[in-house]
Amino acid sequence: MSEKPFFVGYLPAPGPLRTFLLTACVLLIAGLGSAGFLMGAAQDDPGPGAFRFDYGRQTVTGVVELTPYPILHVTEGNDRIQPGDSFLMTAGGKSGVDSRAEPLAGQLAQVSGVVLERGDLYMLQLRGGRNGLQAAEGEVPEITAEPQGRWKLAGEICDGKCLAGAMRPGRGLAHKACANLCLLGDVPPIFVSTQPVLGEEFLLVTGPGGTRLPRAAYDYVAQFITAEGEITKRGDLLVWEIDVDTIEVTP
Amino acid sequence: MSVKYIPVQWNPNKWIYDAVMLAGVALFLWVFLYLTPEVLSHDQPVTAQIRNARAFGACAFVMLTVILCIGPAARLDRRFLPLLYNRRHFGVMTAFVALTHAGYILNWYFAFSSSDKLVGLLYANASLGQIAGFPFELFGIFALICLLILAATSHDFWLKFLTPPVWKRLHYLIYAAYFAVAAHVSLGILQDQKNHVFTVLFMLGAGAVIVLHLAAWLRERSEAAAKDGAWAEVARVGDFRDGYAKIAKLANGDRVAVYLMEGQLSAISNACAHQNGPLGEGKIIDCLVTCPWHGFQYDVRNGRSPAPFTEKVPTYRLRIMGDMVEVHPDANPPGTYVEPVPLPEPPPEPEPDVPEDGATA
Repeated sequence: MSEKPFFVGYLPAPGPLRTFLLTACVLLIAGLGSAGFLMGAAQDDPGPGAFRFDYGRQTVTGVVELTPYPILHVTEGNDRIQPGDSFLMTAGGKSGVDSRAEPLAGQLAQVSGVVLERGDLYMLQLRGGRNGLQAAEGEVPEITAEPQGRWKLAGEICDGKCLAGAMRPGRGLAHKACANLCLLGDVPPIFVSTQPVLGEEFLLVTGPGGTRLPRAAYDYVAQFITAEGEITKRGDLLVWEIDVDTIEVTP
Repeated sequence: MSVKYIPVQWNPNKWIYDAVMLAGVALFLWVFLYLTPEVLSHDQPVTAQIRNARAFGACAFVMLTVILCIGPAARLDRRFLPLLYNRRHFGVMTAFVALTHAGYILNWYFAFSSSDKLVGLLYANASLGQIAGFPFELFGIFALICLLILAATSHDFWLKFLTPPVWKRLHYLIYAAYFAVAAHVSLGILQDQKNHVFTVLFMLGAGAVIVLHLAAWLRERSEAAAKDGAWAEVARVGDFRDGYAKIAKLANGDRVAVYLMEGQLSAISNACAHQNGPLGEGKIIDCLVTCPWHGFQYDVRNGRSPAPFTEKVPTYRLRIMGDMVEVHPDANPPGTYVEPVPLPEPPPEPEPDVPEDGATA
């Protein structure tokens, strides 16, 4: 039997073992580099959502409506946000603007902030305090709700802010805990439908009868589900009152 | 054979080892973070904090996979033993990489709310009753705690304090950590992905760990010489090589290393007093058996490390029956001297027939 090289930790590696160890080291480093490339290059496209700081700060006026999540129906717009648009609002971080919007429900208000945009969905992250949301003078137009009937939809409940681009990606099971934390902070929930509904892919999702999304629905956030509920068109925004008892997880 | 505890007792091989591991980790992270976004060319790239979290998480998984492959690889081919030599350095490095991953997750997904981020981590997703949507973060937390425990107790102080058997059992937590990481990844990112390259790599990595461990276990099982009876057979007299050992497995599961040194046989425990390294795979250097893992040395006649070191391992009695070397399964207390057993003289060679003058074949 031939003499096998024997490695002792504090002595130089025996000659015959050096080539083997050198090869192993090179392969290890190259393997880690290759794994980094393959894993890094396998990242899915997070979609088009993003903060649009490039648009600059947007300031518009409109009617605040609680659905119960605050919506602004724009009456005086600007180059980007047109009168007749309806959009959702959020505060900085994982917080909604409920406490600021509730005193202004049904009234005219001026809002100012940064746009979050993902396709047809957009949202305004308001500036802090009165700079972001304050009462405005003027005539308050009547906002009508147009019932669209009961619908069974398939898709995913997300938090509107991360989905709109605060995080890329901002949906999916890996994002579930973050989405729940956003929803607990009063960020409006959005339903992403697998098929367009009345021309829209994104719907604000609430509980029945104008209540908040029930806590029971939080278990299904970020999962593909089917459920039923009434759809109402408020301005150009669809609001789906989900019936939690009808939620089924799609395999 | 440590006589005092200092953070790391460096030697050139350790520098080389750590440099290689660091180079591999740095290359992985650099390629993931800075090279692949150029390749992907998404309109809106993955958010930097999320990409960082993914890079460090993926790197920790790959590092854990490599760590768990080194052990069985070294059992299958002794040339891999030098990679085992300072594996705990690699383990500590892995704990730091995993901690960085957790930091990015905690300070991004669980920050910016009115709740404390650690509290949010535990209550934001409470869907414990379902598989899809299960709070997979819990598995990550468990794995991270395991890795931190292993990293914190990797120093020789803990080895001495806990004793090698307890220390080694504690460090089996690495397997629990790996299973938890596998569950963490399986219930998290794997279910979200559309591109399945990561899935394939994940399965290849986990498969390599399983296959290598099975192969090493099967190899050892086939080589095991568990025998019934008071005396256990070790090997035939002619099988021994001077300076090396034959390993016997006793009925109680212990292993005995029987060495041939200068024509005499001696038996000591196969488990090194340092980290239970396989002494029987070591070699006699300067009249002392040298552990292949970390170079601890013992006199095979009494199981004692040379002064000033104090490590001791149990010794065993030997006998030769016919041409079979046998060991008694009852271990002597560590450090007990046992008179070496000389190998029997080989039988004299028969004298060749000398043809008589004038004889013909």
